[in-house]
Amino acid sequence: MRFADLLFLITLLGLLCGCTNAVESGHNTFLDSVDLQQMTDQMARSIVADARVQSAIHAKGPLRIVVQPVVNNLTAEILPRGQAEGFTSRVRALLSEKQPAQFTWILNRDDFYDLRKKELDAPLGPSPDAINPQYALTAVFTSLTHENSQGRSDFYVCSYELSDLQTRAVLWSDSYKVKKSAIKGFLD
Amino acid sequence: MNRIALLLISLVLIGSAGCASSAQQESDQGVVDYFMGDYAGAVELIKPAATKTDENFVLNNDRLASAALAAGDYDTAEAALLRSYEVINSVGVNNGGRSLGAALVSENIKVWKGEPFERAMVNFYLGVIYYMRHDYANARGAFENALFKLRDYGEQDQTDKYREVESNFTLGYLMLAKCYQRLGRDDLAKANFDRVAALRPDFAALADPKRNADSNLLVIVDFGRGPEKVSNNDGAFVGYRPSPRRAGPIPLPAVTVDGALVNLDGANLPPVDLLALAQDRRWESIDSIRAIKSIVGTGLIAGGVGDALVRRRADPAVTLSLVATGLLLKATSQADLRQWEMLPRTVFVLPLKLAPGKHDVLVEFPAFAGFQKLLRGVDVPQSGETTCFVHVERYNSLTPWPAYRGEIAE
Repeated sequence: MRFADLLFLITLLGLLCGCTNAVESGHNTFLDSVDLQQMTDQMARSIVADARVQSAIHAKGPLRIVVQPVVNNLTAEILPRGQAEGFTSRVRALLSEKQPAQFTWILNRDDFYDLRKKELDAPLGPSPDAINPQYALTAVFTSLTHENSQGRSDFYVCSYELSDLQTRAVLWSDSYKVKKSAIKGFLD
Repeated sequence: MNRIALLLISLVLIGSAGCASSAQQESDQGVVDYFMGDYAGAVELIKPAATKTDENFVLNNDRLASAALAAGDYDTAEAALLRSYEVINSVGVNNGGRSLGAALVSENIKVWKGEPFERAMVNFYLGVIYYMRHDYANARGAFENALFKLRDYGEQDQTDKYREVESNFTLGYLMLAKCYQRLGRDDLAKANFDRVAALRPDFAALADPKRNADSNLLVIVDFGRGPEKVSNNDGAFVGYRPSPRRAGPIPLPAVTVDGALVNLDGANLPPVDLLALAQDRRWESIDSIRAIKSIVGTGLIAGGVGDALVRRRADPAVTLSLVATGLLLKATSQADLRQWEMLPRTVFVLPLKLAPGKHDVLVEFPAFAGFQKLLRGVDVPQSGETTCFVHVERYNSLTPWPAYRGEIAE
């Protein structure tokens, strides 16, 4: 096979097989679904395994917890409301599924009234005005970011806390850390 | 040589096969409607193309965002900008066949992500939407990212170059400072206001922390035409026009509230000039490839013609092959002229302190007769800040805005 034939075949093959769409090939340094899963799995396990949480449950019965969306302290990064809620609501979903007797989940006031405005048939549970939560599950995401013309790197620290709403004492806390980087190449 | 010519012809055919789908044609028509002032119509025309994840995915979403912002449809604008944000912040989007195709066939095959100033504006508009919704944390993130995107023009260690770019985009620092102020971080707000004043001492009034803290109505005004991407006669080298000098100075806005002129006290200067930013276009590897193809193509054509003229018994097959290959190289060295053509030349940020209640706010450009926008019944709060975004164009200049959808302060 001559050189030109080889070039012809390789180029055509590359063009026909290698074209992906705009959202298939790329990757970035943002938190993604893998992080969501790993982080929330870790937090759910950590809460249940925590001795102070267990002793509070033994002393007071199921903990009444309100879940707040993540506070975005990330550098140069957006965390849209849906994602900000997802990172804490998955912890709630996991604990509701695995340990239903240990926790009572209360919708936060905004979500409750948003849902009521939508006039959904689904039961919303007790009104936040009718039942007082004892604890708040909160999360604050921060990052150290470096970006230049060669690429970007982000070091994330995602801190979760379960704190007493009356005393502000932190009953439990844990954090998920991950570093991500992306190097720019041809046509980036 | 014939085989290579055949290869190039095949590649050109492959490259042109997917061009100009009906959705893309509608999107192009949407751009025309936008410039005619039919923003809602433009949104409907661009929407189908914006869902297609092809090489124009980012471009069409940017276009959709511009039209939706001007139409006051902030949910659509946010969704479009977030789709664009995801891709422009990714690397390796063009890996594989697209890179090869862009290098060998046509640059239009690559997934368009825009120049650094276009990427910065995606983040800026996202920030504006979050700022309007009082989601200051996300607005802060977006404005920071807008500033990060400009680092492609020059690194921070290249002080002069970077400072020049920064001084043409003080808009980012200004909005970042305002976000920090609303987030209660007065230290960081002051640092960013100070940065604005250091880069542009004439912006001291606009970057005054007290003026911004007291503001209960913020009017953000999109004005003028952004840069136009053009190629030279050869089609291989690109640049932006007009230069700021050729375009002339940016006219300054005046604001009238309920018929009374507001003294803006020097806070109506343009904190960004996209014409100036676009002049700093970075040279990329693909530009070198195009230039080499163009030069080699010219050489082959000249060689083929010269061979036929100089040699008495020139082989016609050789001459034709040289000329044909040269023409193909020239044809595949055409620059990608796609651009976010709906960008303005500048964005004014006008912090106003008004009596609480409903007001009719008129933004006009005394130097440009007819360029004005009336915001009817803007609800100004006692505390907090209502933000209105307006896009001023000639054809919509006298249209009142009953469909104003500005956010009401908390």
